[in-house]
Amino acid sequence: MSAPARTASRTGASLETRFRATARSEWVKFRSVRSGPAVLLSTAVVLLAGAWLICHGYRDGWATMSPAGRASFDPVFMSLRAIEGAQLFVGALGVITVTGEYTSGLIRGTFIATPQRAQVIALKAVIFAAVVWAWCTLLSFAAFFLGQAALSSPAKHVAIGAPGVLTAVFGGGLYLTAVGLLGLFTGVLLRRTTGALAALFGILLVLPEALGLLPGTLSQHLAEFLPDNGGEEIFHLLHGGLHGGEYTLGPWPGFAVDAAWVAAAAAAAFVLVRRRDA
Amino acid sequence: MSETLPVTTASPGRPAGPPARLRARAALSAEWIKLRSLRSMLVTPALAAVFCIGLGSAVCSNYVHSWPAASAATKAAFDPLDTNLNFLVIGVLFFGVLGALVVTNEYGHGLIAATLAATPQRGLILAAKTALLTLFALVLSTVIISAVFLSGEGILAGGHLPHVTLAGPGVPGRVLGAICYLTAASLIGLFIGVIARSGAVAMTSVLGVFLVLGTLLDNLPHSDVWRHTVPYVPSNLGDALWLSHPGTSSLASPAVAAAGLAAWVFVLGAAAACSLRLRDA
Repeated sequence: MSAPARTASRTGASLETRFRATARSEWVKFRSVRSGPAVLLSTAVVLLAGAWLICHGYRDGWATMSPAGRASFDPVFMSLRAIEGAQLFVGALGVITVTGEYTSGLIRGTFIATPQRAQVIALKAVIFAAVVWAWCTLLSFAAFFLGQAALSSPAKHVAIGAPGVLTAVFGGGLYLTAVGLLGLFTGVLLRRTTGALAALFGILLVLPEALGLLPGTLSQHLAEFLPDNGGEEIFHLLHGGLHGGEYTLGPWPGFAVDAAWVAAAAAAAFVLVRRRDA
Repeated sequence: MSETLPVTTASPGRPAGPPARLRARAALSAEWIKLRSLRSMLVTPALAAVFCIGLGSAVCSNYVHSWPAASAATKAAFDPLDTNLNFLVIGVLFFGVLGALVVTNEYGHGLIAATLAATPQRGLILAAKTALLTLFALVLSTVIISAVFLSGEGILAGGHLPHVTLAGPGVPGRVLGAICYLTAASLIGLFIGVIARSGAVAMTSVLGVFLVLGTLLDNLPHSDVWRHTVPYVPSNLGDALWLSHPGTSSLASPAVAAAGLAAWVFVLGAAAACSLRLRDA
């Protein structure tokens, strides 16, 4: 009943120790997501094979392209375009990182061990983002170099030192990380794999496609404020008029749209995870 | 042995089960119960209907509004049925996912272990699932396509735009093609689900096959390699069934597309049957 003992039992472990413990347990769980390595490997295959196939396709067909088509050809975007396919894998990984824990019931153990739920979700997101960002940035560079090698003359190609290129190639990794985080927070919000995947892919892929079917400029302006179309601008080299007026925001404002979606999902996830039952 | 026990038509030393007809009927009714008690069999069709009919009508009424300001080239290129049915680019995703969920939900809940124990003839299970899903998807797609056709063409007619009726030349074939495409998509989804055994993998694959693959490949320059490969991707074969074919079309002809799509369904079905028989639950 001595005073120091009482304070110790009330405050528990120090903040630093608690963070380190949570980080370690979140790392073990992320590492042991059963489909994790397969998904990350599929991401690599899609990105690299896609870069090679698409750039080779353009190189072979370069002679048949119209002058306008050649002028609006974006060599950086085309070498990174397979991101549109790879985002399915990264987004799904983000979802199952969380929903796997909910469906197996492990989440109850997690929240009993660490009642600071916001801390659990925050560290989960940080660890996920760090791994995915490192891997996807590496792949983004690899896809860029592979694509530029395939786009030999006379097809248009660029060097990594050209203005704006480095931003775009780094942007590929950033975009995929943002998609993964959007999936992760959607998983926290919906707690079920199927529902979360449907919601994520609905926002990411179906909504832009649906708006694209509608004629008129209003739907085009709206489409630019979706995470997919906005975020993709960061790995475009050409913006605005050269691209048929489709992408007008520019790399960083476009990515900011994407980041705002992720931030909104994160805010909702942090509020709800503390209020709801596991 | 077979002389003394004429009942034993199966392999020697194993008692014969019930006759095949009864077994098939039992498998069918078991699959039917599972199909109609799945919550996603209510939610997904309802979402599909609302989304498809809404989008199909929205696209048509949008054209009515923008028609006075449209250029002569836009007006010349306008095809009422293409515009009316282009929601299919997205609608097909609902059917693919629906097919996948029929089987992946069973894996997700662990029910598949009981199913396989009750009916060790795994091929029969897949056949029963395929038959019932075909029927279900045919009915659902017929309802959705009819509703979109009636509302969309009605909106176009009301706006005094070019429109078609079911009696128009080539119209019944393309409407039927759309119904077949959606049904085939649900079967492809089912077979992907059997091979994937997980809802996440199956849904991702369905979206990849029907949406992303086309987005990535369609706009590449149409070189010789392109002309011999890309039109035979499932989504492009399906689109060839309902789109009009203008002179510059790079799509396969409807007859080739129908055969190609059937070939995809058949090959994936065979792969699904093999993987169901060879692998653990």
